[in-house]
This record gives sequence, C-alpha cells and structure tokens, in this order.
Amino acid sequence: MLVTDLQYLISRSCCWLNRTKLTLTRWSADWRNATQYYEQAGFTPWDAGKHMESAGALAVELSIWNEVADFYRRASELYNECGRSQPASDALAKGARALEDAKPEVAIAMYTDACSLLEEDGKENMVFDIYRAITSVYIKLEKYTDAATFLLRWAVAANKCNALHSQCKAYLSAIIVYLYAHDFKEAEKCYNDCCQIDTFFSSDQSHCASKLLSAYREADIEEIQRVSKSSTVSNLDHMIIRLARKLPTGEVVAMEVNSVEHGEALDEDDLT
Amino acid sequence: MSVIEILTRVDAICKKYDKYDVEKQRDLNVSGDDAFARLYAAVESDIETALQKAETASNEKNRASVVAINAEIRRTKAKLLEEIPKLQRLAMKKVKGLAPEEFAARNDLVLALPDRIQAIPDGGAAPAPKPSGGGWAASASRTQIKFDSSDGRFDDEYFQQTEESSQFRSEYETRKTKQDQGLEMISEGLDTLKNMAQDMNEEVDRQVPLMDEIDDKVDKATSDLRNTNVRLKHTVNQLRSSRNFCIDIILLCVILGIAAYLYNVLK
Repeated sequence: MLVTDLQYLISRSCCWLNRTKLTLTRWSADWRNATQYYEQAGFTPWDAGKHMESAGALAVELSIWNEVADFYRRASELYNECGRSQPASDALAKGARALEDAKPEVAIAMYTDACSLLEEDGKENMVFDIYRAITSVYIKLEKYTDAATFLLRWAVAANKCNALHSQCKAYLSAIIVYLYAHDFKEAEKCYNDCCQIDTFFSSDQSHCASKLLSAYREADIEEIQRVSKSSTVSNLDHMIIRLARKLPTGEVVAMEVNSVEHGEALDEDDLT
Repeated sequence: MSVIEILTRVDAICKKYDKYDVEKQRDLNVSGDDAFARLYAAVESDIETALQKAETASNEKNRASVVAINAEIRRTKAKLLEEIPKLQRLAMKKVKGLAPEEFAARNDLVLALPDRIQAIPDGGAAPAPKPSGGGWAASASRTQIKFDSSDGRFDDEYFQQTEESSQFRSEYETRKTKQDQGLEMISEGLDTLKNMAQDMNEEVDRQVPLMDEIDDKVDKATSDLRNTNVRLKHTVNQLRSSRNFCIDIILLCVILGIAAYLYNVLK
C-alpha cells in the first residue's frame, strides 16, 4: 500500500515536473507546488534536499534570485534533518556563490550561516574556503573592516584545527586589508594584538608585517612596494595580493607627519 | 758511555791542555791588561761567527732553520751594537805602553764597527722603507717579513695602494656581489618551497578525516555487497533447482510440439 502511494506521488511529481518546464504558454515555472510534491515524493529528507538543490540550480539559470536563496536554505535544512552538516553547509555555499553578483548581502548571510553550521559541528577545517569567499565578497563591496573581521575569525578557526600557517596568513592578510583602507592605527593595533600569539610572533608573516608597518611609518614608498612583492605576501590569497600590490595608497606622507608630531610630543615629555 | 759523559770528558781534557794551545796563549797575552783590546777581540770574533752563520743560512735549504739562524744573527747584531758604546769609552781611556797612532786608530776601528755589524746579512729587508700596504705578491719570501722595518716613517706614500692591491680589492667586491645575488635567488626559491610545503601539509591534514570517512563507508559498502552476493547466490541456486529445470524443458517441448503441429496444419 505504501509502495503504491509512493508511486502515485512520484508520478504526480513527474507530472508537475513537466509543468515546471517552460513552454510557449507558461513563462514562469510553477515551482511552489512542484516542490511540495518533490518533498512528499522524496521519502527521506536526503532526496528532498537533493531535489531542492536542483530546483535552486534551475532557479539560478532562470535568474529568480529570491527563489534561489529560499531553495538552497530549504535544502540545507533538509540535510540538517538528516544529520549531515557538511552537505547542508555546501548547499548554502552553493546558493551564496550563485548570488554573489546579484545579491551580495544575501550571499554573505548565507555564507555566514554555512560557517556557523560547520563550526558548531566541529568541522573547522572545511570552513577555510567559505571564509575565503566571504572575504572576497567584502573586498569587492569595499567593506574592508568587515573583511578584516572575517579574516580574524578565519584565524580563530585555523587555530582550532591547528592550521598554524593558515592562521598566520590570515593575520597578515588582515593587516594588509587595514593598511589598504588607510587605517594605519587599526593595522598597528591588529599587529600588536596578533603578536601576543606565539605562533604568529615567530613566523615569517609577522616579520613581513613589521617591515611593512615600519615602511609605512617612515613613508618609504619603495620599501612598501618591495615588501608587497616579497614571497611571503605572494603566498597569500589572490585578492589580498591584489590589494597589497596597490598598497601605498596616497596618504603615506601624512602618516610620516603624524609620526613626527608624535615624536616631538614624546621629546617634550622626556625633557620635562 | 752517553754523549753527555763524552762531552764532559773532552772539556776536561781541553782545559788541561789549554796551556799548550799556542794561538790562544798569544791572544791572551796580547790582550792581557787591555780591556779595550779584549772587548774588541770578543766583538771581532762574534762578527766572524755571525758572518759564518749568515753563509750557512744562505746555503741552507730548510726554510725553518734559515729563519732560526737569521733570528740568531739579528740577536747577535743587536748585542754587538749595544757593546759599541762601551768600546768607545774604553777607546778614550789612556793605556800604558800604547803608541799615540795606535790610540787614534782605535777610535777609527770603533767607528767602523757599527757598519761592519750592520753589513752582516740576516735575511732582513733593505734599509729603505718599503711602500707596503698590501700586495700579497710583493712579499717574495716569508723571511722578509719584518716588523718596524720602515723605521717609523709612516708617511702618505706608505699607505698608498698599489695597483695590485686595488685590483684585488675590486675583484673581491665583484665576487662578493655575485655571491650575494646567487644567495638571494636561492633564498627566494626556498621561501616559495617552504610556503608550498606548509600549504600542502595543511591540505593533507584536512583530507585525513575525509579519507577516514571514505574508508568507513567503503568498508560498509563492501560488507553489504558481500551479503547481497551470498543471498543472490542462494536465490539463483534455488531458481536453478532441477525441478524447475525439468518443468522448463517439458514446457519447451510442449511449445515446440504445438508449433510443429501448427506448421503442419498450415502447410
């Protein structure tokens, strides 16, 4: 009995599937109803999730962005019901990747949810790609502080799964992003904070960062360019390398003046 | 009898028979009360021995012994030069029974002595200060190395670089820069390798739990497959039981019979 019911449902869903294919008379796909049947036909959440994902992919082709987000979220929930967090986060990531150009904020929200899913489950080593994607979206949107924040979160995740090299690279990338955003003080603060961590303090990346910061303090443009072309920076992610190559961003001279003023103030203090 | 004993015996014998040594007695008699003459004779004999040593040094093949002999000659020369003032004072003293011409001659002899002493070859450099300041090829032999050979004349010329030394210095600089460049390239390559290796390390660490999962799943799939195979084997064996086989053959014959009958009917 159950088998016949199932077969009936599947046949109905196939029928609705034909409805979702576009014809001359039908300009938009009747997805909502189709998906209900999809859900019922799929007697495990796993299959339902798979179907949701394919629904989402088709919606991407049709550029129906709202539906894309919905479908991928629903798919991720279904995967979660199965108890499989990795495919859940993968579904969210796929949706977010599709939405990167059209709706970047929604994409970022989906990426963040994907990260939290994996981190809750203790699978930090799979989040690196997601963090990389988030950072690139933020950099494209020119929201550098947010990008730096996420880089620091990346470093925390890397620390949890003992990926020390990635951790140091994330710290250096954060410092470079702050410098690109003309925020020298933030960059210095970030560097000082990160130096509390032993692994970063004794790494190549920290030497590179200190060289870069001292070059900024002395307003030495050639030194800045030389450091950005060094091999340590060239091993970071490509979007960070692009930022680093553009680094001395015009306000370097001002920083020198500031430092001189600071120096004079200190001298006066010392004399008294 | 050891060598030491032979030497002591020979010394004792010589001392005993010294009174029969004519030349020695003559010398002793001649100098007698005259301190100047005695000292002068000693200096002369030292000069003679020094000259002999210089000759052996020039003929000697072994560099180390040459150096040692030359050092000894220089020591002797320094000692003799110290004796000269003493000799001059003694030359001034009036001595009984000495002719005035001989007295004047003594002064000249003393004055001639320093030159004679200096003239003893000791393997040293020429009296004129050499413009040193480098030039490894310039110092021909080790024996010519002298401290204070220039008599303290450290003028500008002394520190002038010779052509050889400046050439050497520039060659050294070029080689050093080339080595530095090579080392820079090696260092860059090593940096890249290190970064790549660390990234690979992390990636492999990431893959390890995934591989473990795959391992478990494949194990499960293998056991499932084995089970299914066994069940299938049982089922097929059941299907292939001889009873079914006979029934199949009989039915086949029946069908063939029916076909043959129809064929006959229709023909």
